[in-house]
Amino acid sequence: MPARETLIALRQRFGSAIERADLAGEGRLHLFVERASLGAVCRHLALDLGARFITTIGADDRPYSGRFLVVHNFAFDREHWIASVATQPPADDPRVESICGAVPAAAWAEREMRDLVGIVPEGHRYLKRLVLPDGWPDGVHPLRKDVAWNFSPPGFDEGREFGFGEPPEGCIVVPFGPFHPTLDEPAHFRLYVEGEQVRGCEYRGFMAHRGIEKLAESVMTYNEIPLLAERICGICGCVHSVAYVQAVESAAALQPPPRAEYLRTIMLEIERLQSHLLAVGLACHIVGFDTLFMQCFRIREPVMRVAEEITGNRKTYALCVVGGVRWDIGAALRAKLLGVLERLEAEWRAVADAVGGDRNLRRRTVGVGIAGPALARDTALVGPVARAAGVAIDCRRDHPYGAYARVDFNVVTADGGDAWSRLVVRMTEVFESIRIIRQCLAQMEDGPLGLGIPDELPVGRWGLSSVEAPRGESHHFVITGEGNRPRRWRVRAPTYQNLQGVPAMIKDQQLADMTISLGSIDPCFSCTDRLETVDLRSGAARTWSQPELERLARAAARRLTP
Amino acid sequence: MTDGLLRAAVGVPLNAAAALLVAPLFQGAMRRLTAIVQSRRGPPIRQAYFDLLKLLGKEDIESGESGVMQRFAAYLAFACTLALTSLVPMGFPAPLGAGADAVALIYLLTLAGMCTLLAGLAAGSTYSLLGVSREMMAMVALEPLFVVALVVGALHRRSLRLDAVFGGSVYDVGGFPWSGLVMLAVMALSFQAFVQRAPFDIAEAETELMDGPLMEYSGPKLALFKYAQMVRLVVHAALFVAIFAPWGSGLGAPLGWLLFWAKVSLLVLLVALVAATHARYRIDQAIRYFAGLLAAAAVALALAACGH
Repeated sequence: MPARETLIALRQRFGSAIERADLAGEGRLHLFVERASLGAVCRHLALDLGARFITTIGADDRPYSGRFLVVHNFAFDREHWIASVATQPPADDPRVESICGAVPAAAWAEREMRDLVGIVPEGHRYLKRLVLPDGWPDGVHPLRKDVAWNFSPPGFDEGREFGFGEPPEGCIVVPFGPFHPTLDEPAHFRLYVEGEQVRGCEYRGFMAHRGIEKLAESVMTYNEIPLLAERICGICGCVHSVAYVQAVESAAALQPPPRAEYLRTIMLEIERLQSHLLAVGLACHIVGFDTLFMQCFRIREPVMRVAEEITGNRKTYALCVVGGVRWDIGAALRAKLLGVLERLEAEWRAVADAVGGDRNLRRRTVGVGIAGPALARDTALVGPVARAAGVAIDCRRDHPYGAYARVDFNVVTADGGDAWSRLVVRMTEVFESIRIIRQCLAQMEDGPLGLGIPDELPVGRWGLSSVEAPRGESHHFVITGEGNRPRRWRVRAPTYQNLQGVPAMIKDQQLADMTISLGSIDPCFSCTDRLETVDLRSGAARTWSQPELERLARAAARRLTP
Repeated sequence: MTDGLLRAAVGVPLNAAAALLVAPLFQGAMRRLTAIVQSRRGPPIRQAYFDLLKLLGKEDIESGESGVMQRFAAYLAFACTLALTSLVPMGFPAPLGAGADAVALIYLLTLAGMCTLLAGLAAGSTYSLLGVSREMMAMVALEPLFVVALVVGALHRRSLRLDAVFGGSVYDVGGFPWSGLVMLAVMALSFQAFVQRAPFDIAEAETELMDGPLMEYSGPKLALFKYAQMVRLVVHAALFVAIFAPWGSGLGAPLGWLLFWAKVSLLVLLVALVAATHARYRIDQAIRYFAGLLAAAAVALALAACGH
């Protein structure tokens, strides 16, 4: 059902519980409901109408409306629209009904909202800390507007522990992480293992929070944030920068010129190429097949070099500004890029054949780490993980942006739901990306690279953007604000959802399959852990790319340690 | 008697020295070959010597449950493999081949394997113990294969003495050597597992168990384990050649000697090639694989008992 018809049906069903509704442009419905009905409306969307949960945004709206703000975003992928269900709990009673009974996928987002904004999801079944470090004092919520960006609270309790559950009968505890050769970034899975079988696990991550959202909301400006956004991730940074500017553009009703849209599409696909080549190589490395890992990296290198020639950097492209792009692809670069693609296609065909024909690789991945359609729905899995389970979702087709509506490509799916299927989906998507880039290069016409924006952007408007990252949907939510910066910017990276499926994927499997199961979602912890404050024990400063952030972290650490 | 003593006095240190010298060379060559397969340049062949020297020169850090046992395990592992070199022909007949029998050889080989278990148990961390349990499962399935290979030859020659068992005894029957050929196939297919290389590096499995039994080891102790593992590859290759491919060893000094080392080198490079082109097995998959080989070995044993 399209957005408009759904709104009419919802009004009939819920009556005055729907306080206000806004069909904000194509494919967006903003729905303000009274607090008591939030759960009922969300349950209806998810269970009766089959909407896919995207994320929850908690915001401190007290300086503007005197209340808090809770928004649950849902996607109607087949109908190409996104619903935001919002409610505003009063300032003195920041509580809402938890929806994670009906929508288990909301489990993390609601915990995060409690940690950072202090809005309590009542009835949540596992309300432990998600984002804040264990020693962080209770009652301090860093994303509230009355907390300064550089505030470090007194009373940090070094000795306080997370409080893991008891292992099941007959199980030993195998700590997986925070440091493990196959985890490129810190995360901790506490595995309950019986013999070689994993019976359960608990997760404690978010050890490398960088306070990116807070920084953006308090000290950066609209056009500085894309540079910060692309540092959310070391692999799919361009995705975040595009998603952010698209969210701002959608909030301010700006339409970037066609050439900018094509260039964004090309760079996103170049990024997907290098990311998928990396992911397939890593999967081979995890099961001990280093030769294919090395070959993947050799083939990947020309892609990195051509990206460097276009943007000046192998990885952080600094491509986007609000309303356009910075870099152009001239005739010489265009020819070079086409040459790289041609060689890549031939070489990747050879790798795909080698992977496809390798019996040992199949033995290690077929039937391993299974995430079927049911799990995909429950935990709202995205990207290759969902597509490998036969769930054909892809933001490039479902919620088109950039130039994707003007090019022809296939949404690659498989039906095994296992690590092997995910590997196959990624390998095949490489060929689709090559096709997309070629079409873009053929269609792209000369024209301006960006809009001139002489005036201030409107204040208090919402912008949503879903971009298909190599690992799945990256969703950005922006509320525009005063002082040339957004009031609220919420990022939900694909690994945030996919990681929530891991406990179910590894349950009752061999311990040896843990690494490839986790590796097959191609996890990206820096994307997931992007939020507030410093974990003193993990020495998170190591992973920070910006010297300013490093200095900030060290200063904070000095203040906190006696 | 004096002749035997003299041969032992000269041969034992010679064999040990040869194995110690050649093992890192092989390691370096394997790395180089792996690098070529992987489109890399790879380290210089002599790098393996430098690595060992560097490890030996590092501080001896005590990390793990029982420092004494850990040191003991490292020394024992190294000593076992050195002792093994004197029971194996390396271009010349085994220095102690006349004095020892196949049972001593099997004992020493098993003891060398046990050292890994001991190392893991003494270290006592979760991942070490997981590695130990995998290693134990693999050993239980693997050791009988080697025993059968020796017993088949011993049955044919009606002697357990090493110099009788070596030299192609497995083929030494009146008619077509059925049992010998079956065992050749079995041992060839399980060779990677005996030398603990991919796809059978399950107990160490860097990306899963972070070196398993050896994860708590560093510096000189790690050097001893690594060195022992390199020497073990030479010993196993030499044993394989002695039992299954002895042709030409009788040719005498330079030619027979050269031929022997050529065969061993070929085998070692083959190991590197297989390791570079296979993904690691999971322990249950490996055990199933070994079970098939065990069944074939049992058939070979029955054939040998019947004189085929």
